[in-house]
Amino acid sequence: MLEASVKSGVAEELAKIVGSEFVSTNQADLYIYSYDMTQAEPSWPDIVVLPKSLEEVQAIVRLANKEKVPVTPYVAGGNIGGLTIPLKGGIVLDLKRMDRIIEVNDIDMYAVVEPGVTFGHMKAYLEKHHPNLMYTYAFSPPSTGVMTNALVQGLDNLSFRYGAASHWVSGLEVVLPTAELVRIGSCAVSKTWQAIVPFPELAGLFLGWQGTTGIITKMAVSLWPKPKHTGGLHFQLMDMESAYELLRVLSRTRIPDDIIGTSYALGRVSQTAMEHKKASIYPAQPRRPDEPEFNVSVEISGNTKDELDAKMKVIEEVVNEELKGIKPIEPRRSPGAYAGFPMQALPVLSGGGGLTWVGTYGPMSRWLETAKKGCELQDKYNITRSCYTRVMNEGHFVGLRWMLPYDKEDPETVKRVEALCAEQLELVLDTGFIPYKTPVWAIRKLEERADPNWVKLHRRIKQMLDPNNILNPGRWGAPQE
Amino acid sequence: MGLDDVKEWLYGCTRCGTCKDVLNLFIPACPAGERFQLESYFPSGQVSIARAVSKGILSLADDEIRERIYACTGCLSCEQQCGVYHHQHIFEIVRTLRTEAVTQGLLNPAYMVMYYGLRKDDNVFGKPKSERGDWAKDRGVKYATQDKVDILYHAGCMLSFDPELWEVPRSAISLMRAAGVDVGIMGMEEACCGGRAYEIGYLGEFTKYAQHCVETFNSLGVSKVVTSCSDGYSTFKTLYPRVNIEMRFEVLHMVEYLDQLVNEGSIKFKRKVPMKVTYHDPCHLGRHLSQAGVYEPPRNILRSIPGIELVEMERTRENAWCCGAGAGVSQANPELALWTANERLKEAKATGATALVTSCPWCERNFKDAARECGQQIQIYDVAEIARKAI
Repeated sequence: MLEASVKSGVAEELAKIVGSEFVSTNQADLYIYSYDMTQAEPSWPDIVVLPKSLEEVQAIVRLANKEKVPVTPYVAGGNIGGLTIPLKGGIVLDLKRMDRIIEVNDIDMYAVVEPGVTFGHMKAYLEKHHPNLMYTYAFSPPSTGVMTNALVQGLDNLSFRYGAASHWVSGLEVVLPTAELVRIGSCAVSKTWQAIVPFPELAGLFLGWQGTTGIITKMAVSLWPKPKHTGGLHFQLMDMESAYELLRVLSRTRIPDDIIGTSYALGRVSQTAMEHKKASIYPAQPRRPDEPEFNVSVEISGNTKDELDAKMKVIEEVVNEELKGIKPIEPRRSPGAYAGFPMQALPVLSGGGGLTWVGTYGPMSRWLETAKKGCELQDKYNITRSCYTRVMNEGHFVGLRWMLPYDKEDPETVKRVEALCAEQLELVLDTGFIPYKTPVWAIRKLEERADPNWVKLHRRIKQMLDPNNILNPGRWGAPQE
Repeated sequence: MGLDDVKEWLYGCTRCGTCKDVLNLFIPACPAGERFQLESYFPSGQVSIARAVSKGILSLADDEIRERIYACTGCLSCEQQCGVYHHQHIFEIVRTLRTEAVTQGLLNPAYMVMYYGLRKDDNVFGKPKSERGDWAKDRGVKYATQDKVDILYHAGCMLSFDPELWEVPRSAISLMRAAGVDVGIMGMEEACCGGRAYEIGYLGEFTKYAQHCVETFNSLGVSKVVTSCSDGYSTFKTLYPRVNIEMRFEVLHMVEYLDQLVNEGSIKFKRKVPMKVTYHDPCHLGRHLSQAGVYEPPRNILRSIPGIELVEMERTRENAWCCGAGAGVSQANPELALWTANERLKEAKATGATALVTSCPWCERNFKDAARECGQQIQIYDVAEIARKAI
């Protein structure tokens, strides 16, 4: 926490930069930014500030750097990692007022956005002005930030084709912790933002760093032609072994846009939430003998109906041929889930104010043992199995997590969830799965296991870019305490 | 009713932000949040404040915190957008915070006129009770307290005391008379419905007026109570049942009743009214009524008037943007109320309409003020005023 005199002086200066109505030291505001939906330990900021322009961001960072006041960037706060909780207090830089879609380049297929642009805004804007283009959507509410989702390397509905969301970033504008402005990618030397290559990939100094190395004020992200025809195929499997086989076979077809798998039991919890009831994962809902263990869905698109039908048919044939002895229950077709946005995330938001998980990226080769053991740990804590997996980048890696919507006011559930997460973290680290949107407690665990030179390099980069350690301190690259 | 009574709903919110925008359109839904941008003004922030107050982390003695909870216009758009199990209780949480403040003696000075006006003169403006029926003076309107009538027309506080809006109740009476309806009013004996008192946290005042109004309407033996006030209408329909007194009368909004009269042929619109208009759905005639929202009757009426071209705004019906005057905001935070109304006027003008038509005097008043204050060239009418031009 800041000393009172420093706090009032900084707040006064901030008011000169953005106007007093966009600076708050009121306890209600500070409280709200002190926690998120996860079990992360609350930590209060001293000041909240909402800039509108690049120049205001630069002025704020310049002031913070001079006064050595921590700055934690914030857009929507729904990252499921406690990433915007200001561990060292200071300023929360709420960027939601910077919400312009600055450019959509129809020919080069990218959009340049400010931090406050949400998936909802992007969808609405493209539908209105560029109906032939689309962006992806995350498995999250429509208020999720496009930029922050890419910065934390999220997984989206085109991740099977293109990998994590940071992979389709094609340009950055960054305010460094020392307030200089840099552009990364083609936009550094030309007017277009089409690609990060062919330069040294400096975007890696900022993507995945959780706002610890710079404040991104503009980002270009790839857009794609909107398919005219979409459809889904859904499989139900009686055991995890069958699910694993199916995921591999589906990946190798290279046909889907998206491959998702979920525990069947989670579907029953979700159904409750869709009826606007509380979705409770504890105590566990026991599996009935005739009930499947796992659902797998694929999203497919085509330029024509014939192309879509042909793709569906190929997948059905390949699955029949390759999965000998495994009978998926009632594989069925459905219209594309592109229309499912935006209420898709409702089930995991209905647990009672809490949502957490150990979310990871890892090798497909170790998916089965990891997914199974993670579910068995859920059994141990009498929590409903809630495995969620997404095959990434045509099967080169896989997203895996166990989603835990929980009641924040029920101490027993909270205790179980925390203990379960701690054990699941050890499990995934043992099997080579790496926590993404990494909460600070998982970062410290990772650092214990990592090559010391890797940790040293992180710290050296952080020190080089942020000599006064003001940006979201205490996370990646934090100096040893 | 204290925060303990809404505890079940305090932990539903994850602050996911879905309430901030209209679903599928992704344009702003919450006036206070949109105006001030700080999380504490958005619905999820208000729920957070309630949680923190219930745990003793925050105190309502903080003036700035109370300013935030009184910035909510009670439009219920958040309840429309949110899908989580607590979604129909968001304003209830805000309103409970306000009641908690009143219980703690932390009174909002902006509401003192309203409070003392209710206690002394049965209206929210502190105007003399004797002037309540002035809008109908010398117009030959029957008084339900003196003559037996079939239908009671309840003007409500705003239409009774704002001369600039008197054409609304006068038009309503003219239309009903033209249809041969046996209608009367209560004049100076009419009282506030108590709805505003409820929304700003004065539950005792609300209960007093609810009991009084129901007992009075019952005693008059009328078959229907018709009102042009959407706030009053939703208070009668959704809040009065809570006082557990049998209501031996039907409650209709003027647009519902007028739509019925047109459908049964009692009223025919013969004169052309050449206007391009857009219709604003009042929150109290829409979302406050849940599934029973009155969305089609006003549109039916406008479409049946020769010469009227009705065009729609982007946010309509369940997703309409609030006028900004609701839940005491026009008294406690007039700047927010006008800003909110002006946002709506801009949306209305974008349709190409030359007039915005609505069916709530609080909306009409606030739109007229905002148009004047912000220099918006657009006319503001009640549905009844337009309909009257056509007969």
